[in-house]
Amino acid sequence: MSGEARVRLEGVSHRFGDVTALREMKLDVADGELLTLLGPSGCGKTTLLRIIAGFERPTTGRVLLAGEDVTDRPAHRRATNMVFQRSTLFPHLDVFGNVAFGLRVAGVPRAEQRERVREALQLVSLEGYEHRRSHELSGGQMQRIALARALVNRPQVLLLDEPLAALDLKIRLDMEAELRRVHRETGATFLYVTHDQREAMALSDRIVVMNAGAVEQVGTPAEVYGRPASTFAARFVGDANVLPVDVLDVSGDEVSVALAERRRQVTCAGARGGPAWLVLRPEAVQVGRLAREAGADELTGVVRDVAFRGTGFQYRIAVDALETELKAEAPASSPELAVDERVTVDWTPSACWLLPRDDDARAAGGPLPTRQETPA
Amino acid sequence: MTGPGRSGLAGAFTVAGVVFLWGPLLVVVLFSLHSTAALSFPFRGFSLRWYEEIFSSAEVRSAAENSLIVATATAATTLVLGTLAAYGLTRTSSRARGPLALLFFLPITLPGLFIGTALLVAFARIEVTLSLATVAAAHLVYVFPFFFLIARAALDRLDPALEEAAADLGAGRWLVFRRVTLPQVWPVLVGAACLAFALSFDEFIITFFVIGPDSTLPMFIWSTLRRTIDPSINAISTLLLLFTLLLFVVTFALTSWSERRRRGSAEPLVVPALKDAP
Repeated sequence: MSGEARVRLEGVSHRFGDVTALREMKLDVADGELLTLLGPSGCGKTTLLRIIAGFERPTTGRVLLAGEDVTDRPAHRRATNMVFQRSTLFPHLDVFGNVAFGLRVAGVPRAEQRERVREALQLVSLEGYEHRRSHELSGGQMQRIALARALVNRPQVLLLDEPLAALDLKIRLDMEAELRRVHRETGATFLYVTHDQREAMALSDRIVVMNAGAVEQVGTPAEVYGRPASTFAARFVGDANVLPVDVLDVSGDEVSVALAERRRQVTCAGARGGPAWLVLRPEAVQVGRLAREAGADELTGVVRDVAFRGTGFQYRIAVDALETELKAEAPASSPELAVDERVTVDWTPSACWLLPRDDDARAAGGPLPTRQETPA
Repeated sequence: MTGPGRSGLAGAFTVAGVVFLWGPLLVVVLFSLHSTAALSFPFRGFSLRWYEEIFSSAEVRSAAENSLIVATATAATTLVLGTLAAYGLTRTSSRARGPLALLFFLPITLPGLFIGTALLVAFARIEVTLSLATVAAAHLVYVFPFFFLIARAALDRLDPALEEAAADLGAGRWLVFRRVTLPQVWPVLVGAACLAFALSFDEFIITFFVIGPDSTLPMFIWSTLRRTIDPSINAISTLLLLFTLLLFVVTFALTSWSERRRRGSAEPLVVPALKDAP
């Protein structure tokens, strides 16, 4: 079964009344991979998970599990198991009762139940917790029990709906490591939903960036981060600066662009002449004190805001002749710049990325002001 | 009442209220233990003779038996039907949900006199002979809203995600109900059934209209009092009072135990019917 997709969605659309939650979703989840659905709240990622689990029936389209069409099958007859955002441990059962629930319902013999529950608890590092009650557990422990309760059934695919969202930051980081380890040790297929791009990067084999009920990009964390397919993906993953530029000339991967009336160099494969979006990660922006007369093609600006982030400084720079403020990050070892200080702005050409800008609906819908009047 | 708001007047009103509520009851209890047949002071000493009298009376025993039969039948039927109604209505997304719920608990506002006459006319129309069965049916109409309100409040407060989680783990509808829903609410449901039992057990007005040749305890008390002032009535009333109180205590204990069991999700369970119960 290894060549076949564990989960396949074919043209899945979903409407709640007049609201379209998902439109024509296509997706393959490979055997044993950890795939993340990443997007802002309301992008349809949880609806998609609930459709796969069988809690919602898609308006159109098909859901296949290991090649089998399960679109019309209710949740309790699907080999999927879910870890919910809030704790859904049964309060009237102890940890053993909770973890054994699926096995008991499936009629697994007692002795095997005990053995499998023990293994599952060992997997989530909570062996010996069989007789605890859910109110005696911490938030992180509850979610680990929920993970054990799902995995003990050896599901075709494990669905995780923002399972760490309700936890404190420190526990969340520990749980991420725990999830990675559990995924490695079980080799199970994980489909993970989150709105936290940092979490998605840290966990995933592949990320599906979703927006407004549709897929924006599918790729490895490095691909999605380094070569975003859309301005939405660029902004949502990595909080990049997305700036309107005009491509002046292209020679191989070396591209000249016009930005804020300056001519700048960018390295990007496959660029074409004309309007484009320049994607610039904050950490690729270099900010320096303006000590001398600026060169003709040098970008200059004023520091508007400084925040110390432990690992470095986060700046907002009002670049001369540029409408949007530029986000920049500088290492803690660099000299701290003050608000209102005049600065020069530069970047490494290879740390940039260009996206075609055709002023389509998607770009126009973004939070950046669109500039229709850019000179050709 | 403590603090600056405390005043002598408020205290006096409180005492007067308590005396007004409980005084007559205490008098009944006291005279059920009186050694003479006199129903007025001075009190001449304690004795259990009136209790002996009622326990040896075949009439009282048969009336008590009838009351038990009717109350048990009413409570059992209410438990099943009320649970089904409340579960169905809390788990459906149908438009009829609101109106149906209203229909189920609105009879709580009907006067017993109205229920009694309406049912009497209805039974006559469909030519049903009046018996203990008609009494139980009438009591069902009367106690159902109380049960329904309590059951619905308890079921409404369950987290629907728990039932979803159970379905996700492979449990079909019935297993979800039996393994997840019922274990969380049964104490409340049994408590509410006790309340239904208590309401039915000492119900008089509706019973008066729809009972046939049989008698229940409240009917017996009433008919005896019509003829004469018999001190043994005090003993029956006292036992009736204790029994009903016991059922209310059981109801309360079960609902609050169930509440304590679900620690973690705060917000105390409101038992509307307990406050309004006669």
